[in-house]
Amino acid sequence: MSPPPPKVRTAQGPGVEGAVAGLLRDLGSQLQRGSAALARETSGRLATGIPGIDALLAGGFPAGRLSEIAGPPSSGRTSVAQALLTHATRRGEIVAWVDAAQAFDPASAEAAGAALERVLWVRPPEPRTAIRCCQCLLDARGFALVVLDLSSHTAARLPTSSPSPSASPSVWQRLGRMAAGTGTALVTLSLERTSGVFADLALSMQPTRAHFSGTPQLLEGLEIEAIVSRQRSGPALRTAAVCLSTGSRAA
Amino acid sequence: MSPPRTACLCVPDLPLAAELRARPEWAGLPLAIASASGPRAEIVSVSDEAIRRGVRRGNTVTHARAACAVLKVRIASPALERAAREALLDVALSFSPRAVLLPPASGAFAAEAAVLLDASGITALFRSEPGFATALAERARRLGLPANVAVAGSRSVAHLAARKLSGGDGATLVVAAGTEMEFLGPLPIDLLDPEDTLAASLTRFGIRTLRELLSLPPRALSTRLGPRALALAALARGVSDDPPLPAPARTRLVEAVDLDHAVDRLEPLLFVLQGLLSRLLDRLEVRHLACGDLAVSLDLTGGGRDARRIGVAAPTRDLRVLLRLVHTALETRAPAAAIEGLRIETEGLSLRSDQLDLFRPPGPSQTELGRVLAELSSLCGEDRVGAPRVADHHHPDALALERFDPSGCERKRAKDGGGAAAGDLTSTLALRVLRPPVTAQVRREGERPRWIRSAIVNGPVVRWAGPWRTTGGWWSQEGRFAFDHYDVLTSDGTVSRLRYDHVARAWQIDGVYD
Repeated sequence: MSPPPPKVRTAQGPGVEGAVAGLLRDLGSQLQRGSAALARETSGRLATGIPGIDALLAGGFPAGRLSEIAGPPSSGRTSVAQALLTHATRRGEIVAWVDAAQAFDPASAEAAGAALERVLWVRPPEPRTAIRCCQCLLDARGFALVVLDLSSHTAARLPTSSPSPSASPSVWQRLGRMAAGTGTALVTLSLERTSGVFADLALSMQPTRAHFSGTPQLLEGLEIEAIVSRQRSGPALRTAAVCLSTGSRAA
Repeated sequence: MSPPRTACLCVPDLPLAAELRARPEWAGLPLAIASASGPRAEIVSVSDEAIRRGVRRGNTVTHARAACAVLKVRIASPALERAAREALLDVALSFSPRAVLLPPASGAFAAEAAVLLDASGITALFRSEPGFATALAERARRLGLPANVAVAGSRSVAHLAARKLSGGDGATLVVAAGTEMEFLGPLPIDLLDPEDTLAASLTRFGIRTLRELLSLPPRALSTRLGPRALALAALARGVSDDPPLPAPARTRLVEAVDLDHAVDRLEPLLFVLQGLLSRLLDRLEVRHLACGDLAVSLDLTGGGRDARRIGVAAPTRDLRVLLRLVHTALETRAPAAAIEGLRIETEGLSLRSDQLDLFRPPGPSQTELGRVLAELSSLCGEDRVGAPRVADHHHPDALALERFDPSGCERKRAKDGGGAAAGDLTSTLALRVLRPPVTAQVRREGERPRWIRSAIVNGPVVRWAGPWRTTGGWWSQEGRFAFDHYDVLTSDGTVSRLRYDHVARAWQIDGVYD
């Protein structure tokens, strides 16, 4: 007579499932399976919350990579970066905005829904310092997103004695490596593409149309076109049209 | 109640030990410490390797170099010795709350550094007193101090027993309770470090050991050799009527170094700083403390001093973090002259542990965040780093920053009963603020701007909205402002925020929609 099969005890019995269900019921939407950071690592993308841009980028900007948003004034660069920041802070992530352009507007960010207390705003006095600030932030590990804004109509306004970081490709190479090592998404804003082949993703923006309407006339929004001019892990030269709203009529 | 026991931690040759603590790579090399600079200076400490090569204490530097051509000669550094003494006390305080650093001795034991600590009931923590003594010696060795350890029933016996252990290589000795007299009897009288005249008299009487000294009648001893001889006899008897050892609440730690040559470049200075901070952190570690704010003092050539305080956001024992903070501080504000000496002081604080949030993704640790904030503040200025806040002011150029403390904000929000903001996100158009605003020349038709010329925007105005007036500060001549704002689209496709400043009577562009 053969011996009876051994009894196997499962780790997740009905009691565990019940407890998880109870926790989910009590804590509601605050509790999630795995952390958002884990989700970020799994998906490897940071969404902007702008459907057109997220669809264009297959989910968002890549985590642990150097990305670039370039375009002329009123092309929507800042809005896309701000949407990225908003989405990340509302997920509970900590982000940094290195504002070499001195152009960040807290009121705009708050109106967009960003949790400003999770934003570290750094206002370096010159671009070279901005690069060092970025290195310092990337070195810290734990920031989900670092935005480096160099697009302060920069070429015209910054003193000529401070060399543009675009002059040194090694800077971008180093920043890209640091981002890869920490899992932080590093996104630069500039008038023109600066980081060349070291950017994992380059998004070129163009203004299409401005909407003014009503009586009295109000600026309602901007239509922009986003073009993926470089993407290491996907097809390039795809475009998307996006409408950015001021929300003035709703207000 | 356990009988009173005292341990003595003794470094017999402090100048040499202090030097090797600062330069551990010189261990095993022929090394001599001179009392001063110059060829005639006296050698006060000699390493074993130098002794093997014929160098002796009391030689002049010239004689010592003649005996050993590869001899490394260093000048005794009071700063290093002071730090080594305090490190020895830290070792003692890591075992017992009651400890005292003995004042520097004279004569044959001038180079000695000794600490007494209360070892009563220590067997409750260690299996035996020899085990405790070995652990004490081992911890001193970890801080770069080769020390002998003796445990006895009184301070004087423990001190004499530690002196008896020659070599300073971590030897230990335990004098069992009740055997003090047997132990002390055969010891040479020199261990008591008598004054020269008294020592000469005792030698003349043929008294060489403590037993022989104690065999003399006290009254006769006092009559012939004075009260100092009586005090010596009391010491030899091992009788101690000293008060209990103090329990110092000392958590202020200092490390210092005098440089041989003035340093005027950052890289070599950082090399020295790394050693200094490393020694400081080792001391903090044995005390189970972490480093608070750093007070860095630099002795400059010409007699000047550069003192600065470097903030450490969260107590840390991370050498890399501290070094980067000091590096950034020195780089941001370079010293005015070359540096001849360095001193770092810190308050030992309890190490905080990070509490991860159950519902939030993990951000940078408190220590890392503190390091980053300090470094960024050094790079950009304290008023340029923080969490943005919408300014409580109507002036369009108003700017507000607050201390960046995401965990603190979360706690405050939770306390106030609020949760994380939730709701639908829209594709919101952002404004880029121009700080300072850019002056523009505007051609108008009635209220309507027709043409703009500026460093940012140039061309005819295609669409426009406005004006909206913003005024405030009317009660103050300096603070009053009045702006008429317009949103304008120019022919190049730029949508900017134009304003007319009624106070300055000028057109400006203060933002670009982007």
